[in-house]
This record gives sequence, structure tokens and C-alpha cells, in this order.
Amino acid sequence: MNCAECKEILVAYLEGLLEEPQKQSVAEHLKDCQPCQDEVKELINLRERLVDNGKVLAQSNLEDEVLDRIFREQNVRLKAAAKVSKSLQLRKLIMKSPIIRMAAAAVIIIAVLIGIHQFGSGTVTFAKVVEPILNAKTVILDLIIGCDETNPVMHEIVVGSRIRRTMSNMPNMVQVLDTDSGKMLVLENEGKTASYVDIQGTVQEGTKNYVEFLRQVIRQVQDGRVEKIGEQVIEGQKAIGFVGRSQNEEVKIWAEPKTGHPIRIELKIGQMSAIMKNFKFDVQVDDALVSMDVPDGYQLKETTFDLSNATENDFIEGLRVWAEVLLDGTFPETVGSEITMKQMPVLAGKLQQMNISEEEGTEMAMRVARGMLFHQTLETRGGDWHYAGKGVKLGDADKAIFWYRPTDSQTYRVIYGDLRVEDVTPEGLPR
Amino acid sequence: MTETDTYYIERCLDGHPDDFRYIVRRYQAVLLAHLAGKLGNKDSAEEAAQESLVRAYFNMNKLQKPESFFSWLLGIADRVAKEHRRKEQIRRQQQAIRSFSQEACPPYLTLGRRAVSPPKGKAWTGSDPTSSGSQDYSLEAAVAELPPDYRKIVLLRYYGNHSCNQIAERLDIPLGTVTKTLSRAYVRLRKSLERQEQKEFYEV
Repeated sequence: MNCAECKEILVAYLEGLLEEPQKQSVAEHLKDCQPCQDEVKELINLRERLVDNGKVLAQSNLEDEVLDRIFREQNVRLKAAAKVSKSLQLRKLIMKSPIIRMAAAAVIIIAVLIGIHQFGSGTVTFAKVVEPILNAKTVILDLIIGCDETNPVMHEIVVGSRIRRTMSNMPNMVQVLDTDSGKMLVLENEGKTASYVDIQGTVQEGTKNYVEFLRQVIRQVQDGRVEKIGEQVIEGQKAIGFVGRSQNEEVKIWAEPKTGHPIRIELKIGQMSAIMKNFKFDVQVDDALVSMDVPDGYQLKETTFDLSNATENDFIEGLRVWAEVLLDGTFPETVGSEITMKQMPVLAGKLQQMNISEEEGTEMAMRVARGMLFHQTLETRGGDWHYAGKGVKLGDADKAIFWYRPTDSQTYRVIYGDLRVEDVTPEGLPR
Repeated sequence: MTETDTYYIERCLDGHPDDFRYIVRRYQAVLLAHLAGKLGNKDSAEEAAQESLVRAYFNMNKLQKPESFFSWLLGIADRVAKEHRRKEQIRRQQQAIRSFSQEACPPYLTLGRRAVSPPKGKAWTGSDPTSSGSQDYSLEAAVAELPPDYRKIVLLRYYGNHSCNQIAERLDIPLGTVTKTLSRAYVRLRKSLERQEQKEFYEV
């Protein structure tokens, strides 16, 4: 090998890309050739310098800054749009788009129960309660988020892994959930439109658990891991009560003493509560009611919503939308499933009044949805969180509105009124 | 982080702005290297890199071929760098005029020169241990001077942490072309580094 040949493949040699015989002959040549050795030294020096410089530059992290700017700019664009609509006093609906309302409906799916762990132990068995639920092919029930009986009611028809859900505060909306495939079909009766929502991941698990939840509760009762709390009149009938507790959950079940038919189940997960009642088992249900196909006469919208990943950023942006759109720049009284459930239709209405595109409106609604999902995930993991945003103005940098401790973290993430986030030690938390 | 650019771009266009994070992660060092050479200091380069990425995000729907996102991004960065330089020039001229009117100092002394003199480049051979972690301005300037095809490969190799094989795959060219281009790029880099050192020598 001569020097020219050597130089030709020297880079490949240094990159370790040569086959054995070629490698060998370069090495041979280098042994006896001082100029080529010098060349190698120079190349290695240059490469080191490039690598070092690459490392220096890699220390900068533009990620958060860039995403921040993107979100801020998007907000400015939305605000500009909103201002136009206000100044023109456009109080009537600019778009009759059902999409935003659908997004709002999609949110409510999250208002189901995500994850439920072991209950505490007890002594009483109550096998009879078990039977109808464990063996039922269909279960029909009403679900209320919160402990206020006047809250909106979700009417649920559960057939195997499918759920048909209607909501008292969104009368034109029907959701059909398939917890096997992680999909939801949303039907809007007024405009006769249909849309699919991706609920894979946390939401899918949560919904599946919710179906499984009823059965699990009953199994726990059967296994005697609950405590008897005596008899009481519930929903106008005599009922026997049981309670099961674990660290983050508490479940109360009231059943008819003779038949064991459950009358009412009250559930607490962290700071959230829910009521289930008006149970019916094994009622004949028309298959078409839980079909995932778009019914005749409905037009399928192309948009697919995604509720599969929720981050802290979603939660923050959700708070922003909430404050800006619903409350003229003030943060809500509380956060959580109950208030979201109540306010989503209002949010949808307000978004429709703003002079923004369908996509933007949908994106904002979905942000609230994912933000809330993030919060609910915190909740169901027994999360350590606190909300203090009541009455705080958006932009108030001095007031902390929300803080929580991420799993395995020593410090808290604190969100302030200007929506910046800081890591704070437990001692440094606001009172 | 392992998905293709096209995948993330589609996710973003689908209403998942958060996924732009992965694009930023993938290209930030490359962009900084590209811009540091053109603008001469890290702060301006960071500012311009951010600006380029934000612009790319809001214009993504105009991108015809998502698979050539990288080249497109470099194009945006070039325009941003140009604007920055123009702004910087105007700022410096204004400053010069101001200092002229205030101190009656001849403007041509400040006009023709760089406002901030760059840190000394490392000597071509031998390294300077004290400067580790600081900016290698001469090297960045040399990279910025490379012809676009050479530069792209150097950027991907050293600032995007691609192997030669990965570069060949990304740019759809033979592996041999990658190593040969690198080889030629090294020659040019060395020449321009030597030239810069001589200049500095004379300036002293």
C-alpha cells in the first residue's frame, strides 16, 4: 500500500469500517510511514475537537424553551382571534360545529374510575350480593361523579367489554366505548355526526377497570375483606351496608338484605367521589345500541381524538384554557372530575362562540381533557396534591395554584399563577 | 426518540404539539453548530436556533416532503441567521454613530471590526486544557464555511451523533461516499483553521 491509497481509506479506517484484510494493510503501512502517522494524529485531533465542540453544544437544552414559545405563540394567536370575536360582539354561534362538543363529550369519558387497589380486611361474608353482578351479561346503572345527587348523571349500559353512555347534561351526545380495542365512538344526534376517539392506554385501562370494578367490589365483599356497617334505609328501601377501605380508596356498598341486589355503591378515590345506583342486571339489550359501527344516517368526521398520553404540560395548558375561556382569567374554585364534568358543556359552548377554527377549539378542549386525565392519574395513584387556585388571577406570579409530588420524587412541582413550574422542597411549600 | 421525522411531523400536524419535543431533541446540537459558525457566539446561536425551530413548527404544514425535514430546517436557520446578522449590523452601526456623536470617536474604527472579538481558537495541533467546555469559535466558523453537502455530513456525524452507516441510510447515499466526503471535509476544515490561525497571528 502506498501513501495515496492509505490516505484514501484512512477515514474509513478510523471510523472502524474496514474489513480485516484492508485494516491489516493500513496498519502495516502506518507502522513504517511517518508522514501517514502524522496524518493520523492530525485527523484524530480534528475529530476530538469536533466531538468536544459537539459536547459543548449538546449541553444547551432548547427543548423546554422552544415548546414554551410554541405554546405561548399559539395562545397569542388564539387570543387575537378571541379579541376579534369580542369586539364584534359576536354573541351568536359562529360555527355550528359539533366537533368541539364532541371533544367535550370525549372529556367526560375520563370521569370514570381509573385503577382501584386492594381494600382493607374485614370479617363478614355476603355471598349473595355477588351473584347478580358476577354472572350478569349486562349491567345498567347510573353513575354520578361527586357526592351531590343533583350532579349530572351518566347512564351506563354495560354489555361485556362495551359500554353505551349518555349524559344528563349533554342530551344530544351518545358514547359507545369498546374497552378491548381502546376506541370510543361518539355520536352527535343533532347534526347526525359520528367520530372515533382513541382511548388507548390509561383511559382504556381505567374504563376497563371501571367495568371490572363492580365485580371486584363484589368479590371483595364475598371474600369477607370488608366491614359490615349495619342496616339503613337507602333509596327508599331497607339495605345492608358494607365498607371496604384501602390507603387511597373507600368503597361503601348498600344491598337489599334478602336478595343481595346492590342498591347503591359509593366510592371515594383520594379527593374524588362517585355514586352508582339504579342497578339492573341481565336486561335484554339490543346489540345495535353497543355497536361500534357508525349508524345509518350519520356522517363520520375524519378527526380522531387522542386521549392516550397526558402530561403535566397538558394539565398546565388545561388550566390556562379553563381560566381564559371560562372564567375571564381567573382560576377555577376547584379542580377534578366533578367540576370538569359539570363545566365541560359550558366550555364547549364558550369555545363555539369564539371566532376560532374548529381545529383550535378542538385542540383546546382536548387539552383540558388531557390535563384532567393527568390530574386524575395523580389522584388514583394516591397522589400527594393540593389546589389553591381559587380566585387567583391568571398571570399572578406570586401565588402558587397547584402543587404535587411526582412518584419517587423528594421535591414538589409547584405551579404558579403565571403557569411557571418550580421544584420546591417540602419545607418550601406554601401554607 | 426512535421514530422517523415524518412520524413526529405528522403527530404535530395531528394536534400533538408536545411531540415537537423529539424533533428539538434530535436537531438542537446540529442546529447550534450550524448557527454558531455563522453567528459567532453561542448566545446568538441559541436564540437563532430557538427561532428557527419555532418557525419550523408553525410552517410545518407547508413542508412538502417531511422526510427531508432536516435540509428544510437548515434552510430556515440560514434565513434566521441572515436576519440576525442584519439586525446585529444595524445595531452596531447605530452604536457606532452614537458613540461617534457622543465621544467624537471616528466611526470607521468600530465599523469595520467585530464588536466582540472572538475567543482565540485552539492551536491546530495540541489542545488547550483550560478551554474545555468553552466555545470553539474557529472550528465552528470553519464548519460554517464548508460547502453545504460536506457540512451536512459533518453536522450529522459530530453534532447529531450519527454513525457513518446511519448517515448513509438517512441521506440515501453509499457508505463510501460518506467516508470520502468526510475525508474531503477534514482537508477543508484543516485549511480554514490554519488560515484563521495565521490571521490571528497577524492581528496580534
